[in-house]
Amino acid sequence: MPAVPLSRRHFLAATAALGMSLKPAQASAPRIVSLDYGLASTLLSLGITPIGVANAADWSTWVVSPPLPASVADVGDALAVNLEALTSLSPDLVLTTPYLDSVTPAIEKIAPCLRLSIYDASGGDVLPKAERATVELGQAVGREREARDFLDRAARHFEACRQRIARSPAPAVLLISVLDARHARIYTAPGLFDSVLHRIGMRNGWTRTGQYWGFETIGIEQLAEVAGPDIHLIVFEPVPRAAIATLRESPLWRSLPFVERGHFAILPETLMFGMVNEAMRFAGQMADYVEAKR
Amino acid sequence: MTEILAHRRIALPQGPAVMAAMLLVVAAGLSLLALTPVLFGHDADAMSRLVLVHSTLPRVVVAILCGAGLGLAGALLQLALKNPLASPATLGVSAGANLAIVVAMVFSPALLDFGRDAVALGGSALAAALVLSLGARQGFSPFSLILAGLIVSLWCGALAAILVLLNERYIASLFIWGAGSLSQQSWHPALALLPKLFVLGALSALLIRPLTLLETGDATARALGMKVERMRLLQVGLAVSLSAIVVSAVGVISFVGLVAPAIARLSGARRPAQILLWSTVFGAGLLWLTDEAVQWLAGSMREFVPTGTVTAAIGAPILLLLLKGMKTRPRAPLAVQRRPHPARGKISARQRVLLVAVALIAVIAVCVLLGRAPNGDWVLPTGTALRDVLDLRMPRVLAAAAAGAMLATAGVILQRLTGNDLASPEILGVSAGATAGVTALLFIVSTPTLPLQLVAAVTGSLLVLGSVFLLARAGRFEPERVLMIGVSLGALVDAISGVIAANGDPRAMFLLRWMSGSTYGADMKLSTTVLVSGVFLALATLLMRRWLDILPLGPETAAGVGISLGRASFLLFLTAGGLSAAATLATGPLSFVGLMGPHLARLLGFRSARAQIWGGIAAGSGIMLIADWLGRTLVFPYEIPAGLVASLIGAPMLVLLMRRRG
Repeated sequence: MPAVPLSRRHFLAATAALGMSLKPAQASAPRIVSLDYGLASTLLSLGITPIGVANAADWSTWVVSPPLPASVADVGDALAVNLEALTSLSPDLVLTTPYLDSVTPAIEKIAPCLRLSIYDASGGDVLPKAERATVELGQAVGREREARDFLDRAARHFEACRQRIARSPAPAVLLISVLDARHARIYTAPGLFDSVLHRIGMRNGWTRTGQYWGFETIGIEQLAEVAGPDIHLIVFEPVPRAAIATLRESPLWRSLPFVERGHFAILPETLMFGMVNEAMRFAGQMADYVEAKR
Repeated sequence: MTEILAHRRIALPQGPAVMAAMLLVVAAGLSLLALTPVLFGHDADAMSRLVLVHSTLPRVVVAILCGAGLGLAGALLQLALKNPLASPATLGVSAGANLAIVVAMVFSPALLDFGRDAVALGGSALAAALVLSLGARQGFSPFSLILAGLIVSLWCGALAAILVLLNERYIASLFIWGAGSLSQQSWHPALALLPKLFVLGALSALLIRPLTLLETGDATARALGMKVERMRLLQVGLAVSLSAIVVSAVGVISFVGLVAPAIARLSGARRPAQILLWSTVFGAGLLWLTDEAVQWLAGSMREFVPTGTVTAAIGAPILLLLLKGMKTRPRAPLAVQRRPHPARGKISARQRVLLVAVALIAVIAVCVLLGRAPNGDWVLPTGTALRDVLDLRMPRVLAAAAAGAMLATAGVILQRLTGNDLASPEILGVSAGATAGVTALLFIVSTPTLPLQLVAAVTGSLLVLGSVFLLARAGRFEPERVLMIGVSLGALVDAISGVIAANGDPRAMFLLRWMSGSTYGADMKLSTTVLVSGVFLALATLLMRRWLDILPLGPETAAGVGISLGRASFLLFLTAGGLSAAATLATGPLSFVGLMGPHLARLLGFRSARAQIWGGIAAGSGIMLIADWLGRTLVFPYEIPAGLVASLIGAPMLVLLMRRRG
């Protein structure tokens, strides 16, 4: 059960409001706006196409899969949702997160909000929190069965990935996004990627804990601190073109053990601050990677 | 203190050498401390040796080279402009280079692959030209020049911020760039810097003889056949190139160029040759030491700390100390005030007021009514749609108008009070204080609600205002000093926010939005609060209009008609502070409306204090309204904060106006 009384209260209020506002004809497809990528992609997996998503313009840069249907309206930046656009969409429900608490009061005047907590200061493993939020979301939008099915599917996928990986001793991985030729963001506990690694029987090579979003900004040379013979480096797109060109010339980069031995790959975009869908995509990428390197 | 200074004078030849040796020994000691385990430890493996060779050592060399370059640039600028506050950072040169690189990074990354230095050089040269042409109008007075530099810096920063906001994908790299990180992975940057800096350093050395001649005075130098202006231009050109190359290599490292020459002078360097040499050495030592300290600190705090933000945080208090020793010139009456007002057609005062009023009403109507639909079409809503839209737009329009009016009023006060028409509330540091308050709030609570933000912003503003007063009391509220104290505190606050931003913390996005001054968060309650305090403070200002009419004529005149200068200054500063703090809540710390409003008012022919206040209110609210409307509609459904739009359209406009009048 969710431990945060506030989110429970919001949830109940939102459910009540939703129940009242839904006309019978609409009940099958509630009009929902999501201000969070993870919640939007979860919604798609529950069989509901949101009518609006915040930052929809950048969906293809960060989320990629599942693709966002063209019918979805862009409601502007999540931290400055366009209230005029939101009003004219007249949604039944708006999905928010604790990160957006500063704008929620203004949105609540337009439509009921459901606040689902995945990344917040209370910390804790992200994947279980994302799964709980999926159940909560399913209940709120009348798709409990779909939510359960989706989570079962996810569990089977994680288990399949775990078995594929378990066929040989699994390497530890460092997961980074390259910011420029000298700096990177490394994904740490308690983030989504780290959480998934545990689920599929792998190890994060970076043992220090980051903030509750699960990352830390480092100089590239700090990667050498953790370089061991069985550590692999995974770089996620988007990678600045000039940066990777400069790195390939850097003697330090070239002699990092994982680069030297080819224990290194650049993988397609995957949302690091996502939910279960993104976790599945990442787990699949890891299993593919391990099999390819075997 | 005098004893120490006297002692220094006696020790003149050894002074700088002893200081430099101390600095370098401490820096080298810290370096060695960090290296010992790798060099002599038992558990040192091949990897840590590799890091030593390809990261740690080049980092030391880059720090030394960049520090030397910045120190030399600062010394050249200070000698050329005879201004102890001149430096690449305070003259906007670094910010210009930074903006050029950010623009290239977003619009044409390929350009950077080919000519990163050229891009940086173009940006810094433009910024320097702008600052110098603004400063020239006021006879290169030290304070005016620095204020002009600051304005250009702020403007470049605002523009870079818009680019970041609209390109969230690049955000972390852009922030790190702006913050000046020295982290290295190869010898390549160090080896590329070395010859460039060597050539520029050698050219600077060639200037020593003419510089020594210049020290005897411009007239003497001219008599001996020297082209003084060309000489100055050459010096500034060298300094600009030096700082552009440093920015292009590692980003903005502020204040080293200011502090190194100051230390050189304090430790006894007197002749140009000494100042150039020792500034270079101190610059190198300072940046090396700072960077070692930063690495040590960052290691223990487990945070990513760009060195540039730390030099800014250390440099700001040092600027304050330097200010303490500076003599302000007795204030010259504003030349503009006395120049006869040019004939403006046959428009009477009453018609002018009427015209301005009609224009303002038209602006309000457009801002409230014209908007865009979710599909992007322009619409004039009617019926219930209009009512919905009015509920959302009215608070924002009110907040924008009130904030613009208040900033302009504060600007009128500050410009008249200081006799400097580059003064403005943005520069008083009050707005920066508000930002600091909100930044602190983000780290205290996880959900910064609007009322909490308001409390934090007001607390921050009042704290800065209070410190400005305490620090300025010693100088009996000499206006320029008060402004410069505000500037330094503002820089300090910026530096602190910079650390958070560069760390890639998602809170940075929130902070950036706040700082860029959006009316997004304005609801009816906030708008009314701002409006009511605005009306109250504007009335107070109108009551003090006699002071504002007389103060620009100079302290003697003011004293002659029985005005207590201290009391009048205190009350006026307090009012200006209150006005800008309240306005900051609605439109953020940056907008330049406080700077533009009074100028526009005067240009429209409103010249007495009372008329200028009313004209400023109309102009300020007009600019802010238009900026807010453009920000809401141009990139719909996304938004550009009003404060940023205002500074983007306002600053160049201001420069044009000033150039034309000057």
